[in-house]
Amino acid sequence: MAFVVKNNFNWLEVVRYWELLQVLVARNIKVRYRGSFLGVYWSLLNPLIMTGLYTAIFGATFASYYNNSILNYVLAAFTGLVVINFFSASTSQALSSVVGNGSLVNKIRLPVSIFPVSMIAANIFQFSVGTLPLLAIMTFINSRSLVNVLCLVFPLLALFLVSTGVGFLVSSLYVFFRDLPYFYELVVFVLWLSSPIFYPAAIVPKSVKPFLALNPLSPIVESIRQITLSGSLPSLDLVWGSLLGGIIILLLGWTCFKLWRPQFMDLL
Amino acid sequence: MELIRLDQVSLWRRTQEEFSYDLKKTMLSILEGKYHQPTKKLVLDKIDLVVEKGEKIGIIGANGSGKSTLLKIISGILQPTSGTVRVRGQIAPLIELGAGFDAEISVMDNILLYGVLLGFSRYEMKQRAQSILEFAELEDYALVPVKGLSSGMVARLGFSIATDVQPDILILDEVLSVGDESFKNKCKQRIHKFWDDSATVLVVSHDLSFVQQSCNLVMWLDKGQVKFVGEAGKAVSYYLNLV
Repeated sequence: MAFVVKNNFNWLEVVRYWELLQVLVARNIKVRYRGSFLGVYWSLLNPLIMTGLYTAIFGATFASYYNNSILNYVLAAFTGLVVINFFSASTSQALSSVVGNGSLVNKIRLPVSIFPVSMIAANIFQFSVGTLPLLAIMTFINSRSLVNVLCLVFPLLALFLVSTGVGFLVSSLYVFFRDLPYFYELVVFVLWLSSPIFYPAAIVPKSVKPFLALNPLSPIVESIRQITLSGSLPSLDLVWGSLLGGIIILLLGWTCFKLWRPQFMDLL
Repeated sequence: MELIRLDQVSLWRRTQEEFSYDLKKTMLSILEGKYHQPTKKLVLDKIDLVVEKGEKIGIIGANGSGKSTLLKIISGILQPTSGTVRVRGQIAPLIELGAGFDAEISVMDNILLYGVLLGFSRYEMKQRAQSILEFAELEDYALVPVKGLSSGMVARLGFSIATDVQPDILILDEVLSVGDESFKNKCKQRIHKFWDDSATVLVVSHDLSFVQQSCNLVMWLDKGQVKFVGEAGKAVSYYLNLV
């Protein structure tokens, strides 16, 4: 009997978490796109313009690494930018989410982790509506195989896991260190330059490469490119690599969040 | 039936002066070897409290004596450092109305948002939205963003959402009157309805005559310690004698 009651209680908590997530995500999206004409599609503007810029500047030079095709460079730059854009936007928004709702958690009992999670979830929604269809069409045209299109889910899942993990980490650190955004901007910039987004991985000197392998976004970018652009079947090694990285980062972020959670209330 | 039980509840919190919200400074102080653990202060000291269903408890005491902190412990917002808290039933916190509102989205969306934050389901809130709007006299504003409302209207909306359903335990922290005179009367009536019914109420107030009239048990807190618990009249006169 006691067991049943306990189970029931947990189930209620899950339902409540889900309900909270729904209203908070809906709130985020409504606030962001209230009255804007293109709505979610504005989020595509940034990677498209950046792709154009990179192609204009580096396209001709780096084309030789991409089978002498500028189009391939365009696609590679776009896939890379989409990943880093999602990561930097969602984690920066998650960063301030706990502190930003500090007065709220002081008045109503809430699961605090809902705030970074809802920020990431709002970005996932925006990504699925804006960028994902484009990515899926690109994949289908290049590979002519539905398997590749479906397999896009895995590296993207890894991206969401990494972003959620980092979101937990930075949102809890921000409670203690309010000057974190400046440092975090730097971190994002380092990650951005160290993942092969607008340059081919081949130009990086051998001695530097091992350091770049530490970047959890690199395997994700590589896996997405392999699935979208290569035209061959998805490489399982790359998929596993990116998912494993995602799970590790999520566990790390979640552990830190749980560990520091009891101290939050004195500082919010 | 026993709804709330606190056993030897103590709470230590970091003192405000010790807030070092700076990564740069913290790293420097660690490098210089000057880093020290933040000091903590005892905010609540071994509080015992048992509340039976239907009891109205008043909590009095000077500013900073831990009254609101005690309510936060009971609502589950803060976890005690030691001791146990047991609460049975749904708690409606009526602390600073409108904290959960988002000014950018419509009144209707805010009813859903605030209701779910308070622990109701979305489905329930959708069904009750109409009666909430009616009570707040905001039927014509359902689709207007909250930033388009006056502050009085926002307070009315907050009160209506939080009190639309009879909670098991109502917590009042110095908010009994919002809006203009006619709405104040409506608020009072609704609160009175809670009072007459078998609801359990915890109220923090500096309005001693109100506490004396409407509570059957009063707890006097002083610097985190219970100075006196007992019959309302006695507690208030004892408190007034010593202050």
